[in-house]
Amino acid sequence: MSRSIVLDKTDNVATILDATRASCECVLQGARTGRIVALADLPFGHKVAVLSIRAGESVIKYGQSIGRATRDINIGDHVHIHNVESLRGRGDLGKQEK
Amino acid sequence: MDFLGFERQDGRVGIRNWVGVISVQDNVNPVTRSIVRSVNGTIPITTLFVRGQYAQDLKIAYDTLGGLGSNPNIAAALVVGLEQTSAEDVASRIRKTGKPVEIVLIQDAGGTIAATCEGTRKALRLVRSASAARRRMCPLSSLTVGVECGGSDTTSGIASNPAVGRAADRIVAEGGRVIISETSEFFGAEQVFAKRAVNEAVRRKFLDAVLGWEQLAMSYGVDIRGTNPVADNIRGGLTTIEEKSLGAMAKGGSTPLVDVLSYSEAPLKPGLHFMATPAPAVESMTGLAAAGCQMILFSTGVGNPSGAMVSPTIKVTGNRQTLNSGFADNIDFDVSDILEKGRGVPELGDELFAYAVEVAAGSLTASEILDQRETAISRFQPTI
Repeated sequence: MSRSIVLDKTDNVATILDATRASCECVLQGARTGRIVALADLPFGHKVAVLSIRAGESVIKYGQSIGRATRDINIGDHVHIHNVESLRGRGDLGKQEK
Repeated sequence: MDFLGFERQDGRVGIRNWVGVISVQDNVNPVTRSIVRSVNGTIPITTLFVRGQYAQDLKIAYDTLGGLGSNPNIAAALVVGLEQTSAEDVASRIRKTGKPVEIVLIQDAGGTIAATCEGTRKALRLVRSASAARRRMCPLSSLTVGVECGGSDTTSGIASNPAVGRAADRIVAEGGRVIISETSEFFGAEQVFAKRAVNEAVRRKFLDAVLGWEQLAMSYGVDIRGTNPVADNIRGGLTTIEEKSLGAMAKGGSTPLVDVLSYSEAPLKPGLHFMATPAPAVESMTGLAAAGCQMILFSTGVGNPSGAMVSPTIKVTGNRQTLNSGFADNIDFDVSDILEKGRGVPELGDELFAYAVEVAAGSLTASEILDQRETAISRFQPTI
């Protein structure tokens, strides 16, 4: 059984400790227990959603926001640069507004 | 607690006993390297640029070269210059420590062959004299330790950075100094870390350093993604700078933030300091070594081989994939049991602390043995 770890009880993502194939189960440890079914291949060290996250909502890890969802994310989805954006050091945003 | 170290003239304590051969500017590096190749017991402290630098950048360059030469791991310094004035700017900074300082000037010597000959002879004498030093029991409170990360991934924030943080807490508890750096790796974590400042002035100074650096980055009108986090961080699972910062912050342990330092500035108080530096490891570690860090605890995920030239650098990882690859050769301390076996961060951090004391007493690190060491001094202005 592959493992993933949740760092804070308010987190909506877990970090994958064993690479997990799509449709396989992953057991949660740390601040949350239970199992989730991976909706995509999840590489070692990458993140999986443990709660559904709507586009525009914060992605929470360490109990803190690590960025904003750019599309709706389902439980079991791979959470990475394809569906999360940083809100810091974004000189490009200021440029678009001008 | 005590360890075996080299007591210096200024009361500071070295964990190594090298003669530093120091380039004043880039055009003398080949002579510096030739001398070091000829004389055992020396290390090369080379640099790029300096000639043609001015104002703030020139001061940073001289303060950093002077700081590297003043580091207590350096028993004596041989300053290699092209001409007298710039060489004296560096040598005078090192002489304040009371350690022996010699100079060789390529113009005065009459070319590189004569300068190499003169420098080799001077280095021989400095090493012979330095080799008479003996390690004695010294308190751990004499240690200044940098905490750094590079080649980060998500294991860094969960395993290796917290283990480094625990070791940092132990050093502070002994009365030592710890310096955390890498300004951009506080973007998104600065409000959490700022709460640990001992007073409002330190809190403001810290936030000004981080937010001012972010404003500078944003003034270029680009997205810093791809630069920080960089491509290998992203492959390792780090998605945003906020995520990387929240993990990086763990290297600072849990003690109060006592002061904020500029690049290469030496800490004056015991306890945890923040130094404003660029994020890349070689450049950041050069600032830490120049501030007097005798040692650096370096956390890595996907793997970064760099060591500081003057400060022995302990590479720590909690990533089993990195340890199962050839990269294990470049790793000094394995904390993968945190993720693989559920062992506690305090337990592994205490073991890392005990290992760091052994390194202080003379055990060699991978980057020293394999000579994966480099120096790079920050610059912020064009050369004239």
